[in-house]
Amino acid sequence: MCGIIGYVGTERALPVVADGLHRLEYRGYDSAGIALCADSLSIYKSTGVVDDLTLPESSAATCAVGHTRWSTHGKPTDANAHPHTDCHGEIAVVHNGIIDNYESLKAELADHAFTSETDTEVVPHLIEEAWNGGDLTAAVESVVDRLDGSFAICVTAEGCDEIVAARRDSPLVVGHGETGSFVASDVPAFIEHTRRVSYLENGDVATLTPDDVAVTNGGDPVDRPVETVTWDAEAAEKGGYDHYMLKEIHEQPQALRQTLSGRLDAVNGEADLDLDLPEEYVRPLEEIQIVAAGTSYHAGMYARRLLEEYADVRVSVEIASEYEVTGGRDPERTLAVAVTQSGETADTLDAMRKASRAGARTLAVTNTVGSTAAREANHTVYIRAGPEIGVAATKTFAAQVVTLGLLTVELGRERRALSTAMASDLLERLRDVPGAIQQTLDREAAVREAAETYADADAFFFIGRRFGYPVALEGALKLKEISYEHAEGFAGGELKHGPLALVTEETPVLAVLTRGGEPSDLLNNVKEVESRGAPVVGCSSLPSASKYLDVELEVEALGVFEPLVANVYLQLFAYHVARLRGRSIDRPRNLAKSVTVK
Amino acid sequence: MAAGEGRRLEPLTNRRPKPMIPVGNQPVLEYVVEAVADAGIDDIVLVVGYKRDRIQTYFGDGNDWGVDVSYAVQEKQLGTGHAVLQAEPHVDGAFVVLNGDRIIEPGVVEQVIDAPREAGDAVMAVTRSKRPGDYGVVTTDGDRATDIAEKPGPHGSASEIINAGVYGFDDSVFAAIRACDVGPDGELAITSALDRLISRATVRCVRYRGQWVDLTHLWDVVSVNASVLDWFGAGIAETATVESGAVVADAVDVGGDARIGANAALRPNVTLGDNVVVGSNAVLSNAVVFPGAVIDDGAVVRDAVVGEDARVGPNTTVVGGDADVVVDGTYHEGVTFGGVLGDYADVGGGVLVEPGTRLGDDAIVESGATLTGAISPETEVRRG
Repeated sequence: MCGIIGYVGTERALPVVADGLHRLEYRGYDSAGIALCADSLSIYKSTGVVDDLTLPESSAATCAVGHTRWSTHGKPTDANAHPHTDCHGEIAVVHNGIIDNYESLKAELADHAFTSETDTEVVPHLIEEAWNGGDLTAAVESVVDRLDGSFAICVTAEGCDEIVAARRDSPLVVGHGETGSFVASDVPAFIEHTRRVSYLENGDVATLTPDDVAVTNGGDPVDRPVETVTWDAEAAEKGGYDHYMLKEIHEQPQALRQTLSGRLDAVNGEADLDLDLPEEYVRPLEEIQIVAAGTSYHAGMYARRLLEEYADVRVSVEIASEYEVTGGRDPERTLAVAVTQSGETADTLDAMRKASRAGARTLAVTNTVGSTAAREANHTVYIRAGPEIGVAATKTFAAQVVTLGLLTVELGRERRALSTAMASDLLERLRDVPGAIQQTLDREAAVREAAETYADADAFFFIGRRFGYPVALEGALKLKEISYEHAEGFAGGELKHGPLALVTEETPVLAVLTRGGEPSDLLNNVKEVESRGAPVVGCSSLPSASKYLDVELEVEALGVFEPLVANVYLQLFAYHVARLRGRSIDRPRNLAKSVTVK
Repeated sequence: MAAGEGRRLEPLTNRRPKPMIPVGNQPVLEYVVEAVADAGIDDIVLVVGYKRDRIQTYFGDGNDWGVDVSYAVQEKQLGTGHAVLQAEPHVDGAFVVLNGDRIIEPGVVEQVIDAPREAGDAVMAVTRSKRPGDYGVVTTDGDRATDIAEKPGPHGSASEIINAGVYGFDDSVFAAIRACDVGPDGELAITSALDRLISRATVRCVRYRGQWVDLTHLWDVVSVNASVLDWFGAGIAETATVESGAVVADAVDVGGDARIGANAALRPNVTLGDNVVVGSNAVLSNAVVFPGAVIDDGAVVRDAVVGEDARVGPNTTVVGGDADVVVDGTYHEGVTFGGVLGDYADVGGGVLVEPGTRLGDDAIVESGATLTGAISPETEVRRG
């Protein structure tokens, strides 16, 4: 996972590219680099974030490419940072993705001097072989044909006032500006300069000049439609909060109102996600397979219960990288639902493609318009959470669950499994989720206090049942992602089958004691850990639980969506523990926002 | 300046700072930001404190208003002068200071910017008020202020000219504020600094003749709402649903995804927030309903404020009209105020809400009860 950007135009390229890299840092930030292309090529690169680069005060260059790197091949070192060049330092390449056959290609280039351990470096050397100082596009086209794997690359070379970009399976979008042409992994990189964009397709090679972008595919010119981006990339700035994560936690009520807006009619018990799934497909549907990774996987687990209980359909949830189409299934009667915030998660795309190849219909649930998942799936529903920059997903989890809740009602009604009254009831509760989360946020001080009490614990355990179980897993994932502390989530009933041995006086237990989470049964588990001396923090809507809790965090009455509201307490708890421990909250070590490699 | 708590507006300020109280479907502070932006200022510092997350989440970096918004945090509410000091690291040269809870026209900001001044001069907008005793009463000589008396009361006013709360300063004001003593209430007021500056004859006044309203008391929410609907217009959001037979007056603003039931009547000066549901045959007039609230079938709500996600049960009546209200020991006679039902309050069916009632947030009221006076948050009210 990396971020790349290129600019060629009439303005000085250095600030454009450096600023763009800042906005791509959510894609990875262990090293960064910029190549400025004027009469000669100047390369600036090092480990660390963009701000760590030693850049010239100013440069007259009007053409540049840049990269913010996430290590896949080779350690993050200065030499491994992009851009990479050929033997003479005339050609610069930035790359996002993996070149699978780089070792055999490297063997062919035995007479070339390599300076890094990266897969990328073969590309500039191959271009060196193919390029005679003339048509750079033709040289890149011939090299791209020889590469196996997934990639988005940008190439520039000494003496050419142009950038050649190529895409296969890694995202790449071009921007048509008044002061030049842009290309990047993601729109926010250049949205300050232009909102007119074209998404490149697999196999596209684009040639950017200051006033034009020409795209070919397989050597033939193609036309990629110009779209105008209307969303607000500057919302991606922190707005007075210390961290994006805290800002995004607080944005949940607003984001969820967007998720719900115009999609439900509580009076008549109808939800409408504009899916165009034909009724003759939905009625006899036998199985929904949800594929997802990380936080999205937990949203999928929440959705499994909702769909099975209210839409009367069998549901399996698979970790995307483990997904295979296995026996006993009729693909014609299977719907594969890919849940991915970025729409670019490689594992999830891979699973979705497997399902599609087997003949199943696919539905993408994503936050990113124009993403690969959205374009490849048969159907797409957007969660409308707005851009999420913090690496730890927060508002997108809530928006995924709410969207899948709407899907449950829509499918349940269409399958005649859900009465109007029950559907109305579910929709009214969904409508109340934003308000209930706001009330939870209003009690942040109590969570901060709990975090202060327990921040130095040896480990943290999260327990829940039914809808509370995925929330327990998600609570533990948040805490480990950003605080680097040992945290685990368990199904309440599983405690006595092993994990209870881990519980001591120094391991606080956080329990999801709400409706939808079998609170009376879970209370028995709370008593189990309490008798081992563990302090218990309860996110609770069960008044009788108070006397067993060291800290009680009240959850509003909201039926099966109470665990979703309780999750907001767990997000705040993770945030405050990480803050007290002085962690890099928005950029936890070893993690990137969306993982576009397998 | 948007850091204050606004205790006189409880229970509405228990969960949001005063500048975030919505009227005409946007927070009061948003009108201020818009006026400043319309006057051509594109760099805004919001001094925030109490419940600042609500303000930050709403305004973000200001991009939606075409301005750059940054935040200065006033951790403790130690007065308006102290608030201005918090902004010091963010400003350079001349700047304008306004209250976040007072809606003014952009013209006054332009007047303050354009006022002739010498280095070190402060500019203060002044205006005429029928109740000068509630504000800072200013005495002038030409365009110079010669005296300012803070809230002298109904009989102590030397003139009807009051401080409109819009100032033009430059960096020198920070030293003037620092030189002031903290008042007996423990607060450092901007008016003490003005006092000092007036004694040095360096405060110029510009006369503002436009409209302005501010939120001081709970009942102002209703009247300020009416004013903004009048000034800025009202309308029904595209995503709202109006069922057949419902009658909606012109001066009614309806938010997104709201639903107005069959045969409901919305009389003038009503604002319904996003996602509000109004049941069949309900009647509302001169009322502000915050987002997500539900007004059930047949309920009547007059001259009142209904908090966020609150529920007003079927056939519950908020009578409306005039009331005598005591707030913080001060007696207010004959104010038009049907009452306020706090955020997340759950009011059952057939409840009678007497004028002047203040029901706390998250309170639960049993069907058939009668409400009057001030009721604490999270109280459960049973039928007597």
